[in-house]
Amino acid sequence: MRAFLPFLIFQLAMVPGLALASHGPPNRVLFEKNSLYQYIRVEENPEKRERYILVNTNGKGPGRGIQGGVSIDDPEKLLFEYYRMAFTSLAFVDKEPEDVLFIGLGAGAMPKYFYKYYRDANIDIVEIDPDILDIAKKYFYFSEAKNMKVHISDGRVFLKRTSKKYDIIFLDAYRGDSIPFHLTTREFLEEVKLKLKKGGVVVSNIVAESKNKYFWSMIKTYLKEFPQLSVFRGENSMNYIFVSPTNIPEKEANVVLAQAEEIRTAKGIDLSQIVTWSWDYQKNNSKIYRVRVLTDDFAPVNLLQQMEMKN
Amino acid sequence: MIYVIVFLGGAMVMSFEILGSRVLAPNFGNSVFVWGSLISVFLAGLSAGYFFGGKVADIRPSLKKLAFIIIIPGIFYITFPLYSTGISNWVFTLDLGIRSGPLLVSMLLFFIPSVFLGAISPYTAKLMIISLHTSGSTIGTLYALSTLGSIIGTLLTSFYLITIAGVKVLIMAEGIILIIISLPLLFLNLKPA
Repeated sequence: MRAFLPFLIFQLAMVPGLALASHGPPNRVLFEKNSLYQYIRVEENPEKRERYILVNTNGKGPGRGIQGGVSIDDPEKLLFEYYRMAFTSLAFVDKEPEDVLFIGLGAGAMPKYFYKYYRDANIDIVEIDPDILDIAKKYFYFSEAKNMKVHISDGRVFLKRTSKKYDIIFLDAYRGDSIPFHLTTREFLEEVKLKLKKGGVVVSNIVAESKNKYFWSMIKTYLKEFPQLSVFRGENSMNYIFVSPTNIPEKEANVVLAQAEEIRTAKGIDLSQIVTWSWDYQKNNSKIYRVRVLTDDFAPVNLLQQMEMKN
Repeated sequence: MIYVIVFLGGAMVMSFEILGSRVLAPNFGNSVFVWGSLISVFLAGLSAGYFFGGKVADIRPSLKKLAFIIIIPGIFYITFPLYSTGISNWVFTLDLGIRSGPLLVSMLLFFIPSVFLGAISPYTAKLMIISLHTSGSTIGTLYALSTLGSIIGTLLTSFYLITIAGVKVLIMAEGIILIIISLPLLFLNLKPA
């Protein structure tokens, strides 16, 4: 899991050369470890009373490799905007979700939040790195439950092996700055689709800038498998959330909005920003033509992330 | 000519290893077990290749025989797309667990070609020593070129090739290169010193 700290980006842009540390005390490092897969660090901001999990980072730079976070005084709150954006998916599913899957645990914020509102749902979480699970439990107020289990496995392997089907599948597996290539390809999305129930939804956290080639390759790849793709963009983050519904027939916008309102009154989950977050990728469709679909055979994710596209 | 072959042999092994990780990922993921299996299978293949390559080199070495040592992995590379997905899917269905699965599929897909590519070094060493008398520096040069090839193969594949073409096309192209470089050997004779 990962989100960019909006304030830091803003400050860097507005006041060049200003050291971040000059604003309040620096973050305290609570824990660090080299795990099987990555260098992990847990930091705490004593002033904001927030904790972050960082991966493969020196703790500097705008993104800083933040994979998740929690508010110490209100651990149930969704700290980052992209967490809240991801739950817009609730407005697209056909019925109340009973089985959900999260690929990528991070700080465990999203499954914990989901569990709070849907106590009867069965929640599977897949995380490749066992140390992330220990850290989520120790520093981020996450715990497993009878119907919320963490499986230590590669996300794609778990998905291929499981015989279960899900109402919502959340894809938020990152290694540092990028999604492992085998979780970006068309074949992978095909496998994801096979594990969706009728009218199920896939939710993907995409950290990218819309000027880069990787972003448009992802749009194109998703559209191949999920023609109903909706994209949401945060107001103060660099995350995009891809929501890929599979309803037949496709839900009209007003039906989605009505369902969002219903969830707000019934559950208290605030999805009121769904319209402001909604982002029209169709108007850029010349860019979609100029990129290639990512496949198991061809998916140079790291390089595409560095390539900018002209308008 | 021999130097070029040794260099390219080294490059092809490592390029195959990098591309191999991409071949395994759809069924076996990107876990440490996949990388561990892949690297150890290639090293096992190479060491077997060094050993048997040396043995074979002692029995009437010739450039023609060297050509076959290179053509065989070339054929494996060119036909790789025909069998790789089938074998990978088959091992996946065996469900051997997170360690044995990647290990077995790596053995099946990568062991034999790397034995042959490993045999190039001792075989060429023997050929060079027959025609020269400075065996120490000859063997040293061959080792250096082989490893240099491996470095270039790794860098070129991971930094560049993977971004311009698909994995299967790259492996096939490398097979074609192996066969092309082996062809002149079929028509050359060993010059005694």
